[in-house]
Amino acid sequence: MSFPGMGQSPVKKTLKEVKIKGQTVTRQSIAPSQKVNSSDFKRYAANNVADAIRNLSGVNIKDYGGIGGLKTVSVRSLGANHTGVFYDGIQMNDAQNGQVDLGKLSLNNLEEIVLYNGQPDVITLPARAYASASVLMIKPSKPIVSLQKPTQLTIGIKTGSFGLLEPMLQLDQAINRKWSFKVNTFNTHANGRYKYKVEGDGSAEKVERKNTDIDAFQTDAAVYYTDRDSSNFSIRGNYYKSERGLPGAVVFYNDYAAQRLWNEDVFVQSTYEKKWRNSLQLLLNTKLSQSYTRYLDPDYLNIQGELDQRYKQKEYYLSAAVSYRPLEALEVSYAADAAVNQLKTNLYQFAYPTRLTVLQVIAGKYTFGRSKLQANLLHTAINEWVENGKGAPSKSILSPTLMYSVEPFESSGLQLRAFYKDIFRNPTFNDLYYTRLGTVNLKPEYVKQYNVGAKLSKTYTGRLTYLTLTADAYYNHIKDKIIAVPNKDIFSWSMSNLGKVDVRGIDFSAKTKYQLTEKWAALFALNYTYQRAVDKTNSQSSVYMDQIPYTPEHTGALNAGVTNATIGIFFNHILSSNRYYLSENLPEYKVPGFSVSDASLSWMFKFSGLPVSSSFEVNNVFNTNYAFIRSFPMPGRSVRVSLKVTI
Amino acid sequence: MKQFKLNYILFALAITAVFSSCSKNDDINPDFQENGPGLFILSEGLFNANNSSLTYYNYAARVTVADKFKLRNGRGLGDTGNDAGVYGSKMYIVVNGSNTVEVVNAQSAISIKQISFTNGATGRQPRYVVFNKNKAYVSSYDGTVAVIDTASLAVEKYITVGRNPERMAVANGKLYVANSGGLDYPNYDKTVSVVDLTTLTETKKITVTANPRGVYADQYGDVYILSSGNYADVAPAMAIIDSKTDAVTKTFADFSASGMAINGDVAYIIGNSYDANFNSVAFVKLFNVKTETITSEKFITDGTAIVTPYGINVDPASGEVFVTDAKNYTTNGTVFCFGSNGVKKYSLTTGINPNNVVFINK
Repeated sequence: MSFPGMGQSPVKKTLKEVKIKGQTVTRQSIAPSQKVNSSDFKRYAANNVADAIRNLSGVNIKDYGGIGGLKTVSVRSLGANHTGVFYDGIQMNDAQNGQVDLGKLSLNNLEEIVLYNGQPDVITLPARAYASASVLMIKPSKPIVSLQKPTQLTIGIKTGSFGLLEPMLQLDQAINRKWSFKVNTFNTHANGRYKYKVEGDGSAEKVERKNTDIDAFQTDAAVYYTDRDSSNFSIRGNYYKSERGLPGAVVFYNDYAAQRLWNEDVFVQSTYEKKWRNSLQLLLNTKLSQSYTRYLDPDYLNIQGELDQRYKQKEYYLSAAVSYRPLEALEVSYAADAAVNQLKTNLYQFAYPTRLTVLQVIAGKYTFGRSKLQANLLHTAINEWVENGKGAPSKSILSPTLMYSVEPFESSGLQLRAFYKDIFRNPTFNDLYYTRLGTVNLKPEYVKQYNVGAKLSKTYTGRLTYLTLTADAYYNHIKDKIIAVPNKDIFSWSMSNLGKVDVRGIDFSAKTKYQLTEKWAALFALNYTYQRAVDKTNSQSSVYMDQIPYTPEHTGALNAGVTNATIGIFFNHILSSNRYYLSENLPEYKVPGFSVSDASLSWMFKFSGLPVSSSFEVNNVFNTNYAFIRSFPMPGRSVRVSLKVTI
Repeated sequence: MKQFKLNYILFALAITAVFSSCSKNDDINPDFQENGPGLFILSEGLFNANNSSLTYYNYAARVTVADKFKLRNGRGLGDTGNDAGVYGSKMYIVVNGSNTVEVVNAQSAISIKQISFTNGATGRQPRYVVFNKNKAYVSSYDGTVAVIDTASLAVEKYITVGRNPERMAVANGKLYVANSGGLDYPNYDKTVSVVDLTTLTETKKITVTANPRGVYADQYGDVYILSSGNYADVAPAMAIIDSKTDAVTKTFADFSASGMAINGDVAYIIGNSYDANFNSVAFVKLFNVKTETITSEKFITDGTAIVTPYGINVDPASGEVFVTDAKNYTTNGTVFCFGSNGVKKYSLTTGINPNNVVFINK
């Protein structure tokens, strides 16, 4: 376990003792939140952000399989579009699809990932952090250098199944007491091939997944400034470029695939934060981003003999947030964000939309006795202009949130919590304007979330070091739900408006550490989710009260292992009950549940006096044939070895 | 092994479920193995979902088998069964997504041959099948019509026609092929290829309204062409070609229809029209091919409601009219059987997107 605050100071000269107040080991947030840090990545044998968070309660991963396959996450059956993904405090927004491919996000330079149901309980935040049903905060690691050792170079390599070769280079550099920077760059190269078994076509032999290669390159560079008056500034640039094959759905008697996908994304973002003695706080954020996508079907049976689609998105984003404590127990804040999004394509008669989104939020947090109350009201104004045809109508929407938590007994480590959040997701540019598929009059998809739960968090002085238990029950009501299902290939989507959905669920988690010997400790984590997400659109329909597609009723995850200062051996297991791939819950539309295990071994040692961090990971240990998404089989057993040396 | 067992159980359950949702005319018998007079319903399933199916209904026993192809062959039809037809003792099932034509015994549905429709590795995307003098003609989106010998089941030739050909019909010893150009939105094709069936070559192209997809021949040598238009400024239309002159003799402008079945002098035409509030209203119209006029806007006389008419077939032996209902395109569909008076006789539950009814009358 790493404690909050550790390794976060750019110049680790004045590292303060981290105080653990009361009986808690993790900070008690008002709404449920779950954290995965860099040491957990190895425990979960994770290779990307999607792998790292698949164990979390309430999380339903949609993984199209393989090293280059699309991976998105749906939290509490709300769909991927309702999770806001933030990178270093600023949202990664995809106005075209509304979803971020978490498979594209490497763990190489990350420090931690936190998933908040509802929203974080810090109120000095950009307004966008209030604007989705759940928030995934991805935090890159800061330079870990001191003035005594101002330069630190890390060289790493990852290799294994799928013809994977991933060299990595990282430079951490302190310039002076106030300035430091960090550059992380890597190149992923893999043929992506794996064997799978086709069910239902009468074949007995396994076949190889074709057109699965990927070549991806990413550079992430950030400069940090920290002043003595606790003002911070950072500027970050990120460049990602990839080319991959799209293996497509497994089609009976025809496994040929030749479609290609290219991505080139670049963004620059900066953050400035200042705290005054009188408790006034200011947070400024800005971001410029561009993402380019090219999709090619070289065998399309039209005149050109190919389908070559190109998409370019741009975003200009500005945010300012201020907070102030008029009373010791009361904190109030105001934040305003403005974003301009544009999409250009080479599609025939495309609309070429420009969207201006202005978000404003007022929030307050009041602490009384052992209770905390947080409330906010978000106003969203959306205006769109198009070059062709008709644009989506303007929208002006108010969204309230109320969160409350109480520790009923002093120093008991028990927290009771509840929240209500009313939020929506705006239709994406694809929903609205995709040639012949988009509908400009689409309504936003509204979600009301209700949650009640409890958290017990205790530390002990005996062998049992800590125990954390959480249980939350929730009810979500989705109105005008738009469900996207892939057709033809994972890049083409067809929209289906499911109307009304009711979600009732229970999230449970347990986490504990037991000191076996003086050096060895055992870690154990268990997560379980029950979800009943039913279609309530039309009581006359054959799908009324049926479970919505790709939503298992039961999902579970178990992680257990032993560790000492240098070695960690872990076993991870996830399971999912049956799902339906269509809205009609007939047995023939069932996708079988699965149960998949991973194992990992990590070892830190010194080689010629240099610290080396190594890991050996096995995914799908028992070579199970399974799929998250029907017709997109997951790989069987695969291995990965990584080595990192720090100079 | 576990997976196999599970699938076996699921399959057994699947049959049971389809039976249990059948209308009251049907008995439930998951192990029903009889052949005999009845009908097959081809359901497309969903694109890339490998769930095309062949429902069998036995007239005498009034029993339905959800997927007789899978039951008899231990494997699925594949992806998007687009058309099916019987010639002699064999049934030909055109499976678009899987790029195959499954030739099966028309009684047992046991596969005789799976003909691969690929050009090198690339799929040709076969669409429809028609028959003439011991040959089956299969149109494919790659701009060809394949000639299959119905005895040897060998593809003897690929005749080059227009872009993305759809339906075909035979009249006066000639094959009429609708060249849709459907994959070239908005630049659709607007021709019908005429293929001489003795030389097996395209002899001419007749210009019609953009995006022709439907081709149907009547007993008087007239060929009816249904065009979908370009979904913008060109409205759907129906053209009549005289197969003696290969000239368009009549065009019905702004004539929207998704399918047609001709029996004697009566053409049954299905489609959806839109009311003032843009709500879709399904229709089955009657058209007299002798007088070339609409004789009734409403074939269904008993108030039976159809959501999305997707296919229409008439059993020439009984005169019964079968309309398939694809509903919302993602749930199991229904086939309605009507007497020629427009009164419903019975209905059957099918797979997803039923598009075709094939009659086995012996």
